[in-house]
Amino acid sequence: MTQMNMVQAINAALRHEMRRDARVVVLGEDVGKVGGVFRVTQGLWDEFGDDRVVDTPLSEGGIVGTAIGMALYGLLPVPEIQFADFIYPAYDQIVSELAKLRWRSGGEYPAKLVLRTPVGGGIRGGLYHSQSPESLFIHVAGLKVVCASNPHDAKGLLLASIRDPDPVLFFEPKRIYRAAKGEVPEGDYTVPLGRAAVVRTGEDVTLLAWGAMLYEAIAAADEAKKQGIDCEIVDLRTLWPVDIDTVVASVVKTGRVIVVHEAPKTCGFGAELIALVNEKAFLYLEAPPARVCGYDTPFPYTLEMDYLPLAHRILPVIVATARY
Amino acid sequence: MARWEFKLPDIGEGVTEGEIVAWLVQPGDVVKEDQPTIEVMTDKATVTITAPKAGTVVETRGKVGEIVAVHSVLLVFELSSPGEAVGPAPSADASHARNGHAPKDDGPAATAVGDIKETLPGMGGADAGVGLDVAVAVGAGAGYFNEKPLATPATRKLAREMSVDLRRVSPSGPQGRVTKTDVEGFSRAPAAPSSRGTAFAGTALARTPRGPLEERVPFTGMRRKISQKMAQSTRTAAHFTFVEECDATALKALRARLQAPAEAAGVRLSFLPFIVKATAAALKKHPMLNTTLDESTNELVFRKYFHIGIAMATEAGLMVPVVKDADRKTVLDIARDIERLSADAKAGKVKLDDLQGSTFTVTSLGARGGLLATPIINFPEVAILGVHRMKQKPVVKDGQIVIGEVMLLSLSFDHRIVDGSIGASFAYEIIRYLETPDLLWMEMA
Repeated sequence: MTQMNMVQAINAALRHEMRRDARVVVLGEDVGKVGGVFRVTQGLWDEFGDDRVVDTPLSEGGIVGTAIGMALYGLLPVPEIQFADFIYPAYDQIVSELAKLRWRSGGEYPAKLVLRTPVGGGIRGGLYHSQSPESLFIHVAGLKVVCASNPHDAKGLLLASIRDPDPVLFFEPKRIYRAAKGEVPEGDYTVPLGRAAVVRTGEDVTLLAWGAMLYEAIAAADEAKKQGIDCEIVDLRTLWPVDIDTVVASVVKTGRVIVVHEAPKTCGFGAELIALVNEKAFLYLEAPPARVCGYDTPFPYTLEMDYLPLAHRILPVIVATARY
Repeated sequence: MARWEFKLPDIGEGVTEGEIVAWLVQPGDVVKEDQPTIEVMTDKATVTITAPKAGTVVETRGKVGEIVAVHSVLLVFELSSPGEAVGPAPSADASHARNGHAPKDDGPAATAVGDIKETLPGMGGADAGVGLDVAVAVGAGAGYFNEKPLATPATRKLAREMSVDLRRVSPSGPQGRVTKTDVEGFSRAPAAPSSRGTAFAGTALARTPRGPLEERVPFTGMRRKISQKMAQSTRTAAHFTFVEECDATALKALRARLQAPAEAAGVRLSFLPFIVKATAAALKKHPMLNTTLDESTNELVFRKYFHIGIAMATEAGLMVPVVKDADRKTVLDIARDIERLSADAKAGKVKLDDLQGSTFTVTSLGARGGLLATPIINFPEVAILGVHRMKQKPVVKDGQIVIGEVMLLSLSFDHRIVDGSIGASFAYEIIRYLETPDLLWMEMA
């Protein structure tokens, strides 16, 4: 076990898998010599060289398109998009090719790759460096979508993602890249996709969160505890396929559910989660399911801390839901 | 042990569904063969259905008031075969089955009715009746009703599980919501009081009333059936009513003469058997009145049999037992039939067979029959005869005012099928028989 932050854990996962599996290659903007703008790929170029760690031009469509081609020819690319906000030029490649090839070819040309990209705000990045576009990809059938909240899960989930037969979008919450620290096993292990983690058990209200906002949910739950409200917190970890059984089991227990996410509220993943809860646990609900989310505006620069669903915004919703 | 599903049998001609009136068994009960299990009300009557096999009731399907179709499952049995009756069977299969049904659960239900009185505000006897109290009393009392109750899904689920009608639960939650506590409290409370008199009696009325201003009584069973049939009749048939006088002098004299011999034969002879006989005779001459319209095929069905329904008021409500083949029976036979049917109806045990197949109905309006009435046709028949009380009245006979025995007849016809002149002819035919009852001797076919 080693104490690591998220950056180090993801780096360790890439290094581990590149040593284990010669098909794994990394490509992206400044991922080579520089080691990535967040230093996630630091040292990989030194160890694995130009053939396996490729610096690319500023062309997201090119990065993903090239990676898809590599995958069709038997490699296992792990391309990086520097910020999720830059992913849109590659959207056609992702939606029309990446998500479809395994289906289109009857499984013969799966175009298996893991697309890594940092997400979220709270880093004074402004509107082009802060977005959380997960629901745009969850809505595209054929992709798996992952978002880790801590170093242990980040390594385990990334290894599971690389070994999964489907293309995976691996979102890395950049606000906690260095803030989230923890023990990470040195050897080989995976955190299975499609399994949420109940990070705190409670009786009164279920909080659903992932990535950086998990910590805001925890902070709000700590405050709620002082008011006698006992929250259960579920870290989804894999957004799709979502571990609905764990979610429903929790909601059945508490009868109350709040979803927290950074993305704008409308058509965010919270809407889908609440729809599923209504479908599967309707008769257990003691209060209307609630969402604490980003607003339906572009991500603001100066009002960043008002936009994010931080603990001070979650707490009153917990109280209102518990006392409904 | 085998599971066995008991389905609502086809209980009689044309019966396609029934309403559950009462369950006589519950899950967990061990029942013997032929033990009564359920009362089902059909179009025709309430029948008690017995268990065709012995076993343990695992499940009862359907609630009281629910309509169940013929051949739908009513009961699930765990069949007991000889030698298996006592002690748990050792096989895993059997023990699983035993776990499947909980122990008989009448304990809690019984205690639940005991401890209530103090818990219901507004129902106490103390007369601190100031205005403010009354609002509370009305809201929380047994008569509370709200068509659209507010409640969370979880509370609705609880109410469903406890068979509590949320509309009747007085809410105590925020924004007028019914809470789980309200539901639990409601289920512990006694059933709504049925005493109509007490709440508004005497001096209480002069002051502010303490009880609920309205009371709701379930509209089920026989009453609902009658309501449906009456509505169907008035909705479908084009009713018109024809009223005429009948001189009953001869009839009265004949009945007086025949009373002694009838009594010797063990029959109390009323006027009704004569009227039924006269009706059957008149129907034979006017077959249109004995028809029914088959709208599915657009055919008028002329019935060659003359089964006369006799409307009877019973405690449960209106019933129409049938005198079969009245045309082929003597007045004495008919009197005997009516006596038997009437006794059965009063005792609430008319056989289904006695309630089916009438082609025409007579309603004897009795001592309080009034001057005239507009009877509703016993659909799908096409006419009905209402008989009013026989009275002594001044009548003009041969230029003299004399005392006559006058009886009024009110006949309703379905004008879709029966024209006015045909209806009138039929009415006068009956009157002819009743005014000259000796003619009935010739009607013994």
